[in-house]
Amino acid sequence: MFVLAVQQGLNGLVLGSLYVLVALGLTLVYGVLVQINFAHADFVMIGAFSAYFVTHALHGDYLLSLAAAGAVGALLGYLVNAAIFAPLLGKGSELRPLIATIGVSVMLENGALALLGPVPYAFATRYSAEVIRFGPLYLTAQSVIILAVAATAIVLLHGFLRFTFLGKALRAVAQDRETAGLMGIAPDRLIMLTFIIGSALAGLGGALLAPVLVLTPFAGTSVIVKAFAIVIIGGFGNIEGTILAGLLVGLIEAMTTQVLDPGLIDIVVFGLLLAMLVIRPTGLIAERREENV
Amino acid sequence: MSDVPSPVAAASLPAAECRPGWPGRAGAAATLGIVAILPLVLRDSYGRGLLIAGALNVIQALGLDLILGFAGQLDLGAAAFYGIGAYVSTLLVMLAGVGFWPALALGTLAAGVMGGVLALLTVRLRGHYLAIASLGFAVITYQVLLNWISLTQGPLGLYGITPPAGFTDPVRLFYLIAACAVLVFAALRALLASPVGATLAALREDEISAASLGIDCRRWKAFAFAVGSAVAGLAGGLYPGFAGTLVPDAFAPADSFGVLAMVIVGGIGTLRGPVLGAVVLTLAPELLRGIGDARMIVYGLALTLVVLFMPGGLDGAWRMAAARLRRNQAG
Repeated sequence: MFVLAVQQGLNGLVLGSLYVLVALGLTLVYGVLVQINFAHADFVMIGAFSAYFVTHALHGDYLLSLAAAGAVGALLGYLVNAAIFAPLLGKGSELRPLIATIGVSVMLENGALALLGPVPYAFATRYSAEVIRFGPLYLTAQSVIILAVAATAIVLLHGFLRFTFLGKALRAVAQDRETAGLMGIAPDRLIMLTFIIGSALAGLGGALLAPVLVLTPFAGTSVIVKAFAIVIIGGFGNIEGTILAGLLVGLIEAMTTQVLDPGLIDIVVFGLLLAMLVIRPTGLIAERREENV
Repeated sequence: MSDVPSPVAAASLPAAECRPGWPGRAGAAATLGIVAILPLVLRDSYGRGLLIAGALNVIQALGLDLILGFAGQLDLGAAAFYGIGAYVSTLLVMLAGVGFWPALALGTLAAGVMGGVLALLTVRLRGHYLAIASLGFAVITYQVLLNWISLTQGPLGLYGITPPAGFTDPVRLFYLIAACAVLVFAALRALLASPVGATLAALREDEISAASLGIDCRRWKAFAFAVGSAVAGLAGGLYPGFAGTLVPDAFAPADSFGVLAMVIVGGIGTLRGPVLGAVVLTLAPELLRGIGDARMIVYGLALTLVVLFMPGGLDGAWRMAAARLRRNQAG
């Protein structure tokens, strides 16, 4: 029983670190722009398909396909920012970019549907079948890769934000766009950079999820809904909170599967979200952002 | 950190234009005339089904616009209240043997109460927090409908639902739903023309100033949510008789975005706008059927372009064109 709980805990961590990657992109963008990109879900899906085609059609290595998926995500993020968020910036609108990205999402999903069809793709990497045992516990090599890549990405991102000049500038823009502008920082370019980084994480997350996911043109939606919950539970725009919340949701999901019923996962996660909003609307790690509440 | 502005400022309409769209008497008569003739023109069941779907969408869009456009609360959970209205009224008829009309009223009431409760729970939240909370509520509602199999039959759905007695004919069912839409329109117009309209506008534009004028923001937010959600519930109660079946997938959380798009494309914060938006966006995918797989791609593209280039939606564009025409005639 104890071993089983630890095993589910491990599975939860693997899942949680995937959610963290996807949610970090959302929260980064929210941090600098106070905007939600609904097409983020489709960046995850397109990242997953990019990885699929690099490994299956081009016979590239899975690890190489991760890089490709990240690059595709970055490109999409750049385009969506250039086409939608940048032109609407400073027009005092919170709804318009949101609806515009819903339109983009419809386009991307149905574009993918027209190209790829509705039948789920089976994505097996050579790592999915390899099992690594730790005493009574086991992980697939795929899970180990997920944990390693996610941890590396999170550490790199954290280091970038904390210790580099560009990262500091980015945090400055998130704190106060106008003042940052007065200090000689170009907010537009940093917003673009944020989009590129956040969307690359979505693409990467998609490529890591691909072997675990039911890979269809609508695959991103189920992931993104949970990413929204994570972003809120962690506190919008709060990186540490998002990481903590992502891992927590992964664990909760694994434990719900174990103890209750997989069908109840969304109810438990969103029940927690609503409870959180009622009791502690600033998120797990409270921040200065009280104007949202 | 920049403020989160109200959704209506989002549409960047001048404040004076945020009043309800009053159709002139002639316009109203013409609209009613067209509605009356439509089912006689569209004689096949496909066309008539489309008409009924359009009327249901009009009701939903009006309800959401009260919350979103007039009270300024970002609600992404419209599909949940539509679903609550549908399931509560249908289950009352099927399991408790309640008549259709009382069941419809109770379903509407249930959706309204749930909307009010959600608003009271999340009353401290603004902007995107409220948006995600309401989206979360839609996800939970959908999952409850899927998983409470002993009550809802889960994904298998409820079958053999009939329209209310006397309205089994699609033409009469359409007239019934269209009449409901007209009633909702008239009721909202009266409500918004009363001091309540000004109160909600104050709440929408600046909550702190509104509170300083003695407006109980908490109560009015809950009021707007309750009324708007009850309207969605009414549409929900009318839906199953038309569809004949009731499955949770008809109320998927993403469907809220469809209603939202109708409000935005039509013109947020007006009454005429959501009606226009609902009609156009119900017809658009059908008119695009000729281009096959590409139709939803074009639909998504059109939605994006309208939002980017027509900030006031179709209603705003119409008003701008009319103003230009008047200026040209005067000059």
